[in-house]
Amino acid sequence: MWVEWAWLIPVFPLVAFPLILFFGKKIPKGGGLLAIVAVALSFILSLLVLVDVTQGNLPAAASGAEGEGGGEGVAVYESSMTWAGVPGMKSPLEVGVQIDHLTCLMLIVVSLISLLIVIFSIGYMAHEEAKPRYYAEISLFIGVMLGLVVANNFLLLFIFWELVGLCSYLLIGFWYKKPEAAAAAKKAFLVTRVGDILFLVGIIAIYNSFGTLNFQDIQEQIKAALAGNALDVGALTTMALLVFGGAVGKSAQFPLHVWLPDAMEGPTTVSALIHAATMVNAGVYLVARSYFLFEHAPDALLTVAWIGGVTAFMAASMAMVQHDIKRVLAYSTVSQLGYMMLALGVGGYSASMFHLQNHAFFKALMFLAAASIIHSMNTNDMRQMGGLRKKMKLTYITMTVGVIAITGVLPLSGFWSKDEIIVTVFHSGNLPLLFLAVLTAFFTAFYMFRLWYLTFAGEPRSDEAGHAHESPYIMTAPLIILAGFAATTGFIGTPWWPRFQEFVRWGEHGEAGFDLVSAGLMGLSVGVAVVGLYLAYVLYSRKSASPDDYISAGAWRSIHKLVTEKYYLDHLYLAFANKVIYGFSRLSDWFDIKVIDGAVNGISNGAVGSGERWKRLVSGNVQHYAVGIVIGMCLLLLLMAYALPALSGLLGDWPGLSNWHWWEGWGW
Amino acid sequence: MIPLSAFLVFSAMLFCIGLYGVLTRRSAIVTLMSIDIMLNAANINFVAFSAYSSPFELSGQVFTVLSIVIAAAETAVGLAIMLAVYRLKGRMNVRLLKELKW
Repeated sequence: MWVEWAWLIPVFPLVAFPLILFFGKKIPKGGGLLAIVAVALSFILSLLVLVDVTQGNLPAAASGAEGEGGGEGVAVYESSMTWAGVPGMKSPLEVGVQIDHLTCLMLIVVSLISLLIVIFSIGYMAHEEAKPRYYAEISLFIGVMLGLVVANNFLLLFIFWELVGLCSYLLIGFWYKKPEAAAAAKKAFLVTRVGDILFLVGIIAIYNSFGTLNFQDIQEQIKAALAGNALDVGALTTMALLVFGGAVGKSAQFPLHVWLPDAMEGPTTVSALIHAATMVNAGVYLVARSYFLFEHAPDALLTVAWIGGVTAFMAASMAMVQHDIKRVLAYSTVSQLGYMMLALGVGGYSASMFHLQNHAFFKALMFLAAASIIHSMNTNDMRQMGGLRKKMKLTYITMTVGVIAITGVLPLSGFWSKDEIIVTVFHSGNLPLLFLAVLTAFFTAFYMFRLWYLTFAGEPRSDEAGHAHESPYIMTAPLIILAGFAATTGFIGTPWWPRFQEFVRWGEHGEAGFDLVSAGLMGLSVGVAVVGLYLAYVLYSRKSASPDDYISAGAWRSIHKLVTEKYYLDHLYLAFANKVIYGFSRLSDWFDIKVIDGAVNGISNGAVGSGERWKRLVSGNVQHYAVGIVIGMCLLLLLMAYALPALSGLLGDWPGLSNWHWWEGWGW
Repeated sequence: MIPLSAFLVFSAMLFCIGLYGVLTRRSAIVTLMSIDIMLNAANINFVAFSAYSSPFELSGQVFTVLSIVIAAAETAVGLAIMLAVYRLKGRMNVRLLKELKW
């Protein structure tokens, strides 16, 4: 029963992290070997756990509730221990693992793709100085991502969630001496932090209303409330939206997607890891994991769907005008994540997870292929490339597989999952969203083939492109493996053999069946993909029309400007930061200087100032002191003469002077 | 017999003259002299009171002798300080001693 050892899966890379950090120089490949071993162990263990779960081979005592809403009859393995608790808490905080089918899927995807990326890194980072740091951070990243996946409660998930954010900061800013990289790292950290705050507030709200953070327990409570017709949908919607806020940040959804394209400043392998296997999937996974919050909150689901749809459309439109090969892929990632959110929002739980899996494979493939190109060209600019199909055969073939997979052409993986999403959106009856989804499919085909034509077709447009060479086998081997997966993973979820949908599901049976409508939609999605392909061919290969003709004048020009300026969102945020935040900071600064410091300085200035005045009394001139003595003595005399007798009524006979008159008895 | 008040008025005048000298003159020598005048005013009081209150005990006179001795000692010390100041500054002005204020 390997499932009992599932907690070890994140432990391997997490142990490798300090070892590589401190002893990396002594390990072959600057610690890369240890990272590979650790991730490979995690992958093997994930496979064994998957085998256990598919065969229902779970420990009887620990197998959790046979849930109804959470996938009928899906056995869940859960094991946890108390971490901390104080009297008066509704339930103690715990750490533990939860293994169900969704977890298995994520474990396989994350560990397998991470493993291939780390192997690829051996070649890609061969000339890098700081290899131990790179491999240590990569190991930490993979470890916390695996930990995030197996976590059994919101708190543990949030801890790993934040660690993922930290690792993305470290890795995006890996070349921290480059100002752009440092800025991009900060941007990624800060923008995702906006979502993290919402997520944290959501967790607090969940704990307040359910008294626990355990996924299973909350699910049970919601089910019980539903059965007793006592479900507070408003509160549920709020919680779901707050949790979704976290996912918006991490998965780079509109309007927090701005960090992801800038995150391309990191090493390309890091981009592959963040954008294919780990970080951005965390947001989608979070929504899927807490789907029990969403499923009975229609407003929250609709919000998720719309955010996803808008993100998919906007990102795809921005991808069409980029010249940096990595940025095209980055916007493509945002767009595909939007697809996943859209699917989740319209109830296509398994479709979304299916797309997540397929996207992970083909996007990792494309990022690594891009890395291979960048490795041999030393530039990201597609205008410098061209004609690489002859120079880099393996990269060319594998990239082509990835491009066809993402555009959704039969029979590669992207087709099956994207088609299923479109079918689900159609069945939800939301036509604007269906329109967005289909338009995005068209855009996707266009920008992907644009990338393909600019990079591989035609003649070399620069010396570097002319002298490009194929990458070593340590880099091409992972490409070939990933291409194999990108081509074939779709077959486990076809409408005729929905093995995947039966494995990962959320109470949705028979919806994904094959009928005339889905056949029509299939035709539609392939059709728009082919149109996009043809348009890219016309503009960038045959060149019978130049894109410059369109963007030089008229409405196209303003649209082009709008898109190249990223819908002015960065401007908006910058203006917001400059005007509102900076204004508030200045107000605070003024308050600090004038009021708080003013009070402190005022007191000290008052003391110093009064001291300045008083010190004139101490002139150092003896004669002044003598005057003081004389005046004091005169005052004493006056006191004795008049004040004391006047006070005698008050004081009684106290100093015994009441009847003493100094002027009497001297024989005047 | 001369009334006591005559002595007291005289000594008060002496005291005020001495006080005036102390407060106004800059020369250390004059200041010391003025202080002696004030002391002597007090001495006159001693003697006068003694003579009027208990004429046969001489206690006031004894006090006065004591006071004169102490005044001599005080003048000696004062002169010594002033000599030191003179060596330091080349003048004998009490206002030169301002540095001692802190």
